[in-house]
Amino acid sequence: MLRLAVANGIHRIGEIEIESIDCNDRLKQDDDRGIAPFQVNAANNSFKLCHADDAAGGHDLAIHQGPAAARELASYAEDGSYRFLKAQRNLRRGWVMLLESAEDLRLALDQFYPACVGLWLAQRGGSLEVEHLRSKLQRQSGMYQRVRALSDDALQALVPPTCSPAVPCARRILWQIDAHTPLLPSAASSDDGIPAEVAATEAIPLLCREACNHFVAECLAAAKAQKPGTGCA
Amino acid sequence: MPIAPKPNSALLIVGHGSTQNPDSSTPYFEHADEIRSRGLFAEVHCCFWKEEPSLREAFYLIDSDEVYVVPDFISEGYFTQDVIPRELQLSGPTTVIRGKTFHYCLPVGVHPSMTDLILRRAKQVAPHADPAATTLIITGHGTGFNQNSTKAIRDQVALIAASNAGYAAVLDAFMEEQPFIADWDKLSPTPNVVVVPFFISDGLHSFQDIPVLLGIEAEIGPAASQREVFRHNPHPLRGKSLFYSSAIGTERLIADVILDQVHDFDITYKH
Repeated sequence: MLRLAVANGIHRIGEIEIESIDCNDRLKQDDDRGIAPFQVNAANNSFKLCHADDAAGGHDLAIHQGPAAARELASYAEDGSYRFLKAQRNLRRGWVMLLESAEDLRLALDQFYPACVGLWLAQRGGSLEVEHLRSKLQRQSGMYQRVRALSDDALQALVPPTCSPAVPCARRILWQIDAHTPLLPSAASSDDGIPAEVAATEAIPLLCREACNHFVAECLAAAKAQKPGTGCA
Repeated sequence: MPIAPKPNSALLIVGHGSTQNPDSSTPYFEHADEIRSRGLFAEVHCCFWKEEPSLREAFYLIDSDEVYVVPDFISEGYFTQDVIPRELQLSGPTTVIRGKTFHYCLPVGVHPSMTDLILRRAKQVAPHADPAATTLIITGHGTGFNQNSTKAIRDQVALIAASNAGYAAVLDAFMEEQPFIADWDKLSPTPNVVVVPFFISDGLHSFQDIPVLLGIEAEIGPAASQREVFRHNPHPLRGKSLFYSSAIGTERLIADVILDQVHDFDITYKH
């Protein structure tokens, strides 16, 4: 499915450019760069990943053969900070990753943008299940139980600062407060999970099917800060 | 125990993860890499409580129709008994969810083969210390909320004490319940003391909190991966030689324990 999608024009996920490489072109590129050629399964195209801002080349890129470096690249921003949300728009530049197969491509993308390929495929196939925020909060236990008491207003107020498309997360929010209560319009709630400069048909959107545990942690902080009995901070 | 290849099954390794410490999830990915390299499963994935992918997202990682879920946790407790089943929507040892069959295995830390890993780690960290003059302390968090969280450690202490490992004393000690790890020198009757943290990762507790409780460091330091120099053993402290190891979960052979739990699941529920 992923190989077919790339063959049909998908070339972008988040900040990463995906390129399908014909075997012959690939071997020539490796030769030009002085890279020892590796075995390419002729039945599969190989793939190249890089930061979208490096797609035009222009400066030295560290070359990684295979998906092994993906987790390290995804874990730290340029300034060394820990990217615990992988859809933050601060993926480091300066690297290119060469992948032998669609399986390695999926493995690498699942490190850069965890589960996002699968979420997208499920959405396309009609099997993606969205979980609304109230349901998520209701099932919290232990010290997190107190998040259940937050009002809709308090929850709505948490979305823009916690899920802003600028910082930290660029996923498209699919969930609502509950089935009948959509999120209020904001930059966070209107992000479509696709970079502005890319056509929707050419990108794998970053989807958020359920509030993450970072959001729940923010709910807990708000619940602790709220005045008793008000449901509001 | 070697397991037969399962080319139509997925393995899902569940970890805690952290939004603060980048080292927290490293062992889980290393265990997954190790098992993936052996080609035993069609797919090997990780999912986390505190990191991405979340437990609920894990369903979308997996193509296979049969999934073995192994909690890469050190003990039975709140996470393995409440959180993981709730988040993965598991109702028993085997649960069918939207056409996929999930098998829920026991956590790695309760498997008997952990004993050998602890002894191996203790020997690595203090290769020249005579066991007869050495106390081995297995340390964990400890909490009054769930006795199971300390049971795995106490079970290992009993197993090692009854073995022929030869340590003068084998003790359990905890961060937040008695006996306290901060009293390691008073608890230990020998000149040498080896402390093995019974955690999966070198995260907040094993590399930041416990070193302060032991007296190795005066205050909580940065994450393990952000240190230029790891701790040097032995530490001459409080009149004794203290040997402090990294968390037991960082041992690459934990991958074998994960496979042991899959094997044991099959023996218990599929035969």
